[in-house]
Amino acid sequence: MKVNNSLPLEYSTEENSLKILGFWIFLGAEIMLFATLFTSYFTLVNRTGDGLTGAEVFEITPVLVETILLLTSSFTIGLGIHAMRLGNKKAMMTFFSITLLLGAGFLGFEVYEFVHYIHEGLTLQTSAFSAILLTTLGTHGLHVTVGFFWGLFILLQIKKRGLTPETANKSFIFSLYWHFLDVVWIFIFSFIYLKGMM
Amino acid sequence: MDFFERFAVPHPSFLIYGAMVSIGLTMIAIVVGITYFKKWGYLWREWITTVDHKRIGIMYLLTALLMLFRGGVDAIMLRYQLSMPDNKFLESQHYNEIFSTHGVVMILFMAMPFITFFFNYLIPLQIGARDVAFPRLNALSFWLFFMGMGLFNISFIIGGSPDAGWTSYFPLAGNEFSTSVGTNYYMIAIQIAGIGTLITGINFITTILKMRAPGMTLMKMPMFTWSAFIANVIVVFAFPVLTVTLAMGTMDRLFGTNFFTTVNGGMDMLWANLFWVWGHPEVYILILPAFGLYSEIISTFARRNLYGYKSMVASMVAISLLSFLVWAHHFFTMGQGALTNSFFSITTMIIAVPTGVKIFNWLFTLWKGKIEFTTPMLYSMLFIPLFTLGGVTGVMLAMSAADYQYHNTMFLVAHFHNVIIPGVVFAMLAGLTYYWPKMFGFMLNEKLGKWTAWLLSVGFVLAFIPMYITGLDGQARRMYTYSESTGFGMWNMVSFVGAAIMAIAFVLLVYNIYYSIRYSPRDIGSDPWDARSLEWATHTPVPEYNFAITPKAASTQAFWDAKKNGHELFPGKLEKIHMPNNSGWPFIMSCIFFAFGFGMVFSIWPLAIISLIGILGCLTYRSFEKDHGRYISVKEIEETEAKLRGAKK
Amino acid sequence: MKELFPLNQVMGFVCSLILTAVALLVYFMDMSFSIGMTVLLLTAFIQAGLQLVVFMHAGETNDKKSIYANIYYGLIIALITIFGTLLAMIWDM
Repeated sequence: MKVNNSLPLEYSTEENSLKILGFWIFLGAEIMLFATLFTSYFTLVNRTGDGLTGAEVFEITPVLVETILLLTSSFTIGLGIHAMRLGNKKAMMTFFSITLLLGAGFLGFEVYEFVHYIHEGLTLQTSAFSAILLTTLGTHGLHVTVGFFWGLFILLQIKKRGLTPETANKSFIFSLYWHFLDVVWIFIFSFIYLKGMM
Repeated sequence: MDFFERFAVPHPSFLIYGAMVSIGLTMIAIVVGITYFKKWGYLWREWITTVDHKRIGIMYLLTALLMLFRGGVDAIMLRYQLSMPDNKFLESQHYNEIFSTHGVVMILFMAMPFITFFFNYLIPLQIGARDVAFPRLNALSFWLFFMGMGLFNISFIIGGSPDAGWTSYFPLAGNEFSTSVGTNYYMIAIQIAGIGTLITGINFITTILKMRAPGMTLMKMPMFTWSAFIANVIVVFAFPVLTVTLAMGTMDRLFGTNFFTTVNGGMDMLWANLFWVWGHPEVYILILPAFGLYSEIISTFARRNLYGYKSMVASMVAISLLSFLVWAHHFFTMGQGALTNSFFSITTMIIAVPTGVKIFNWLFTLWKGKIEFTTPMLYSMLFIPLFTLGGVTGVMLAMSAADYQYHNTMFLVAHFHNVIIPGVVFAMLAGLTYYWPKMFGFMLNEKLGKWTAWLLSVGFVLAFIPMYITGLDGQARRMYTYSESTGFGMWNMVSFVGAAIMAIAFVLLVYNIYYSIRYSPRDIGSDPWDARSLEWATHTPVPEYNFAITPKAASTQAFWDAKKNGHELFPGKLEKIHMPNNSGWPFIMSCIFFAFGFGMVFSIWPLAIISLIGILGCLTYRSFEKDHGRYISVKEIEETEAKLRGAKK
Repeated sequence: MKELFPLNQVMGFVCSLILTAVALLVYFMDMSFSIGMTVLLLTAFIQAGLQLVVFMHAGETNDKKSIYANIYYGLIIALITIFGTLLAMIWDM
């Protein structure tokens, strides 16, 4: 396998750069996935039937905590990739671990949020609004959950196999995924929560 | 409904029992046959675990041909039922199931795999590559598609077929009006197959962007590869819409949500809207590769470079963007205002323009060419006038005010078959005939091929032109019968005769394959048509690694130029070639997807949950897997090349 | 030492925090719907762009044309889908 040493490790083989481009294309598809959810959300947002509206159940504090957690985790994984490019395996693994912990924290708060909604009487079956709200948040949350385990597996591989072109490539692609989830959250934060509480 | 009741077919009939028996017997015969000839090992090693794009392509082809048969039988039954007023051959429920499955099968399980066969077989060869960017994912795409198709196809013997049309509109598709599991099959089987298609899209975009032979810039690619590239771009951005829409439909049916209900704020019309946001780009996904094949064939048999390469590319890029701007023309009558309808009317009329550009470019390619009327060329020449007719009726339908008259009549049915059959089906058969010698080393019989093309065309005209007339006269679509006083009887009978002629044409096609296997000479060499692009610069049969030396492609007709102007197509010397290993995991994971799908369809939650865990387990294993492929040594390449060169004339 | 310090990451993070704070203003302050929406749109798209370019290294390799084309294309079609649906299903019903 030919390794190009003038490029960062994650791009250094031909197969690696194929995988990175392929993943960007996948993110293009994910943009449309979330766009469809947002389309449905904006269409159904006021169709609450007899149930509660967003303004009646959204709470700013957990939303703000979730946002800070995810944003910071985006920062820490950026630091992790930076460390990876400098060849610093230990620092990279530390930043990755912090990222995953912050992600788990995000998920914890989101579970609390869902429990709160159900407690208030806003369930998946309540109305069109509740269905699309919980499905959109849930889809994002599911992506974060999958990301958590994926990141964990990569961390284990780096521990066992070190920083190779393969593990660097996987780590970089994972970081793309993680950043993308933060981009989606920015839109959720702005156009579901803040707009709903305006 | 009692737990076991849901597995029974809701309205069985003699036909369904007959189908059950014949399917059962066929499966037994296949299993017995493979065991008797001791071919299980061969099947597993060479086909089920393959990651070779050529083999995967052929599996797509075989599935597509099987589904063509199924969809065709559906069509004949529908046409027979409608051939006479007050006919009693099919009662309404069965009729609904048949037109629903006819649509799903023909579009999603026949046409899509057929074009995916061409993508898989041709693209790496046309760009001078050794395989696609992600061979494992490619195999996964096929098996997911296969399992989705399989799940859909068992519906009519276990639980009942979907019966709400291929578009499955709510509220008809909801639990209140569709009580059997039929619509669950629709939501879930198409979802599984759709994931496969999305992965294919990502795979081929990456392949085309990154794996072209040196010298082949984007504007030097063969036209089929361009068309495939654009089609796959549309796939990547359209299929996620379907994913979400089907998921929401599934949740409404299985988990009691209110996305598309008529209570609790649900909006049933949102389903139609979202379905067509995907659905319209889907038909362009089907037609663009067909256009690409016509470009290759017309150029080869007019012995001229394709006219207007740049405008061909530009028109396809325009179509890809415009295809996302026209979707509401599928529901002009749904109740939105004149502003919306006007906007979509205009975009729909605009999208006809780039297609018109392509038709003219094909005609200009023919001008002053040395035309050879082979079977593929005959299909292409029949395509041009027939498809144009379908296209102009499309512009008629595009006028939203006028569409109130045409919508959901047979006029519409005539229009879309008029563009799909001469457009997509003819291209598939032309392409199959054209590339057959490259794949299998012998030609299909020309005489039988031409008879097939003419019979298909005559049959098509007789079957579908009358529908324009009865549609304008008021015959609605999706109606299982009509009374004699409507006067629709005569034209529907003509239509049935046309359908029967089309059926004969397909039988002739099958006979052609059998006849050619038996009698066609095998010494035709690797370039029997004297063609122009790189896929013809390979041996027949194409070796596993495609090209021993990566070609250097300096023009849009690289192979032609090498033949006529003597420039070196394969510079450099042999080096060892890196190839991916076979793997059973795509097949295994897809089987688990099938089990998951089955569990979801019938709400067997333990099965669904365990299967889901199984899928996640496969993904986990994949993450930790260490598989770096293998190398084919120079010695092995030299031996293979010598053997294959010996077979050439 | 200079290239060891992840300047881009830190600047990006700080900017994201500022943009988030600005977005929060629509919750804490009273403003008309149009102004609120404008604030949200601007902060959201700028922050998204920041993630894409600074964090995800979108412009780094010679695939950057394809990557940017991919993002723009997705964005355009996403917006068409959202606004086309709102037009057909809500505004012009």
